[in-house]
Amino acid sequence: MALTGRTALLAALGALVVGLLLPSWTGIALVTGTVLLAVVVDLVLAAPVRSLRLGRGGDTRVRLGEPASVELTVTNPSGRPLRALIRDAWAPSAWRPGTAHAASRHTLAVPGGERRRAVTVLTPTRRGDHHAHKVTIRSLGPLGMAARQGSHLLPWTVRALPPFTSRKHLPSRLARLRELDGRTSLLTRGQGTEFDSLREYLPGDDVRSIDWRASARRHTVAVRTWRPERDRHILIVLDTGRTSAGRVGDAPRLDAALDAALLLTALATRAGDRVDLLAHDTRKRGAVVGSSPREILPAFTDAMAGLEPALNETDMRSLVSTALKMAPHRSLIVLLTGLDAAPVEDGLRPLLPLLTKRHEVVLASVADPRLDELAAGRGTLEAVYGAAAAEQTRADRRATADRLSRNNVTVLDAPPAQIAPALADTYLALKAAGRL
Amino acid sequence: MTSTVPAPAPPAAEQPTRTAPTSLAPTGRGLLRRARWYLAFLAVLLIGAVTVVALGRDREYPTIDPRSYDRDGAHAAYALLEQQGLATRLTTDPTAHPAGPDTLVLPEPDLLTPDQLRAIAAARHTRLVLIAPGPTALSALAPGIRSSEEDGGLPYAPVRPANAGCSLPEAVRAGDAETGGMLYTSGSRGEGCYPRGHGYALVRTPLDDGTRDVVVLGSGVFLQNGELTVAGNASLALGLLGSQPALTWHLPDYSVPLPKAAHPKTFGDFVPDGWHWALRQLAVAAVLAALWRGRRLGPVVSENLPVVVRASETTEGRARLYRRAKAHGRAAQALRRAAAHRLAPALGVPLRAGAPDPDALCAALADRHPEQSAGDVRALLYGPPPTDDAALLRLADDLDALERQVRNP
Repeated sequence: MALTGRTALLAALGALVVGLLLPSWTGIALVTGTVLLAVVVDLVLAAPVRSLRLGRGGDTRVRLGEPASVELTVTNPSGRPLRALIRDAWAPSAWRPGTAHAASRHTLAVPGGERRRAVTVLTPTRRGDHHAHKVTIRSLGPLGMAARQGSHLLPWTVRALPPFTSRKHLPSRLARLRELDGRTSLLTRGQGTEFDSLREYLPGDDVRSIDWRASARRHTVAVRTWRPERDRHILIVLDTGRTSAGRVGDAPRLDAALDAALLLTALATRAGDRVDLLAHDTRKRGAVVGSSPREILPAFTDAMAGLEPALNETDMRSLVSTALKMAPHRSLIVLLTGLDAAPVEDGLRPLLPLLTKRHEVVLASVADPRLDELAAGRGTLEAVYGAAAAEQTRADRRATADRLSRNNVTVLDAPPAQIAPALADTYLALKAAGRL
Repeated sequence: MTSTVPAPAPPAAEQPTRTAPTSLAPTGRGLLRRARWYLAFLAVLLIGAVTVVALGRDREYPTIDPRSYDRDGAHAAYALLEQQGLATRLTTDPTAHPAGPDTLVLPEPDLLTPDQLRAIAAARHTRLVLIAPGPTALSALAPGIRSSEEDGGLPYAPVRPANAGCSLPEAVRAGDAETGGMLYTSGSRGEGCYPRGHGYALVRTPLDDGTRDVVVLGSGVFLQNGELTVAGNASLALGLLGSQPALTWHLPDYSVPLPKAAHPKTFGDFVPDGWHWALRQLAVAAVLAALWRGRRLGPVVSENLPVVVRASETTEGRARLYRRAKAHGRAAQALRRAAAHRLAPALGVPLRAGAPDPDALCAALADRHPEQSAGDVRALLYGPPPTDDAALLRLADDLDALERQVRNP
C-alpha cells in the first residue's frame, strides 16, 4: 500500500473545514474519516498487483558504453484497468551515472485483460553481467489517492562486453596484412614461411633465391618466392593478477589489455592464424580454445566480459605450465602482464626459458601516461621529487624490459591508447619476418 | 521380470516463461511462517509482562509517602510514630473533623482546593504541619507566614544539616537536622528556625489562643527513610509530628490539576479556538504526507564495487618518501640518468647496459656545443650530488636547458 500527495493535500484542506465549520474532535474525525474512506475505496478498486503477469525480452549483450533495451511486458488479467508506476530495478552500474532514477521508472496504463510494454534502456558502466533486481509496481486507484504496491522478480541478465574501442585500427592493419599475406611474396626464407611459387627472375631480385634446378628445366632464370606461413597458432595470455588492477587513467590496466587482445585476435584470425585465450592469476580464470574464425570474436568478448582483476599476486609457475599445456606446438605466446621489476624478476624470468625454448614470446605491458606527467614536473620541490621518482620507475621498467629482451622476448611498453595498435604492429612485423 | 514404466510427463505449460507467476507479494500462509518467531517472541513478552504485573505488588509511591519503603518514602518515620503509641491514620480526605487533639500532616498543601483549605482551617486541628506550602495554602492555614521571596529574600535554599538557631523545643532537642527547601518569614507571632538568608526553613506560629499551632516546613527531606538516621532528623520528625496523641497523614491526590494561577496572556490565547482544531487536522495531514513520502518504490539496490587503485600510486609514494628523507642525491641521480638516457640517442652515443658511457657522452656534447665548457657539462651530468633543495631544483632546470639545447640547436 502507498499513499499519494493528493491524500495529504486533501487532509490539509480539511483543516479549513475543521477550523471554520467544525472546530472539535468530531470535525477532525469527520474529515479524517472521509480521507481514509477515499483511501480504502481506492485500495479496493485499484487493479491487483499480485495477479499481474510479467515478461521480459530484449538485449542480452551490449558493448560497454552503448545502450541496451530490455523490454518489460505487463499483462493485466483482472477486469480493472491498471494505472501503474513501475520501477525496473538494476544495480547502479547498469545505468549511466545520474540517470538511474528517471530511466528505471515507467508510467504504464494497461486496460483490463490487455498487455502493454515498457522499455528500460540500460547503459552499463562496468564490464560483466548485470542482473535484474525486483520490478516494483504501484497500482493507483481511480481517485489517485492510494495505490497497491508489490514486487515481482523476473530474472534477466545483460552482459556488458568489452568495448573493443581499438577496432578503429583494424582496417589499416588489415591493409598492411594484405601487403604481406599471399599477395606479396617474399624472397627471404624464414622459420615461419612456406614455399609459394616460382616466377621469372627480374632485375633486382636476390640472386641467392634463384632456383637453378627449375631454371634448367624452363630455359629462363626462375626464382623461388616464399610467403608467410598461414595457420600459425597464437596464444594470448592475460595476467589478471594485482598488477592488472592498477588504474591507468579511468580504467584498470586489464581493460586496455583486453582491448589489445581483441585487436590482435581480429587481425590474426583474418590472417588465417588460430588464436586461443588464457586468463590466469592464482588459477585459471578463463580460456577459449579452438574457436572457428567466424565465432572467435564473440567467444573472446564473452569470456572477457566477466574477467575482473584479482587483488593477489599471479602464480607465474602455474600460468606458464598452463600456457605450455595449451600450446603444444610452436606458437606465438603473447603475455599481457605488468613490467614491475619484482614480479617479473622473481616470478616470470626464471620460467622464460621454458617458453622461449619452443615459442616466440611477446610481452606487452600497459604503461601509465601519468608517469610522463610526473616526469615533466618542474618548478616546485614536490614536482621535482615527483619527476625523480617517475624517472626512477621508468628506468626500472626499462631495465626489466632490457633483461627480458636479452631472453629473446619482444617487449612492448605502451600507454593504454597505443598498446592495441602497437601489439598489432608487432604481430605484423613478426609475421613479415617469418618468425611465427 | 519387472519393468518400471515412466510416469507420463505432465503437459507442458503453453508459455511457461510468460505465465509463470513472478509476484513476490507474500501469501497469508507465507507471512505467518515468516512472522512466527516474532509472534512467538511477542507472546512470550506479553505473558511475561502480564505475570510481572499480576505478581508484583511493587507500587510506585510519591516522595514522603508513609506507605513507601523507598529511600524517599516516609514509612520509617510513620512506623516510629506508631510505635510511640500515637493513633495514626492515613486519609485522603483532609477535611474531616478530629475527635480530639491531633496533628494533621499535609505533604502537598498546594494540591488542595480553596474549599478544602477553608474546611481544614475550620476543623481546628491542634497542630498542622505543612510541607512547602504555596501562598494560597499559607494565607488560608498559616496566617502571618509568608514566603521569603515576597519579602525580598531568597526563595529557596539547598537542604543540608543546620543548627536550629531558635528556642523551639523540638528543634533544640534535635540539634542539627537536614533542613532547607522553601524559605518563609516568621510573621509577628511566629518563631522561625533554621535561618537561611532572611528566611527560615521551619516556622511555627501559634493559632488562636496558643493552644493550636501551625508548623510550616520548607522541605520534608528529613522525614525520608533514607535520611532519617542522619543528624537529628529522626528526633525532629518525632518531635514535630508526635506532639499530639493522634496523627492524621494526608495522602495527596496527584491526579488533581494544580489550581490555575493567573498568568500573562500568550500569543496562543489570541488565536480563535477553531484554529487549534485546524492545527490538529494539519498534524493529521502531516502524518499522511510523511506516509506518502516515506514509502519507497522498491528497495535500494546494492552492488559490489571493485577496489580503485591508481597505478601511479607507488611512484607518488616514492616521491613523498624522497621528499621526507630529503634524498637529494638519489633524486638527482634519477634525473641525471634519465637526461643522459635521452641525450645519448640524440647525439648518436650508443647505450651500454641502458646507459651511455660518460666519457663518450661528454665528448659528443663538447663536439656539438663547443661554446659550453666541458667541465660544466660533466659536472652537470656526473658531478657531486646537490646538498640542498635549491641545488636540486637548479639541477633539474639546468638538465632541461641542456636537453633543449641539444634537441633544438
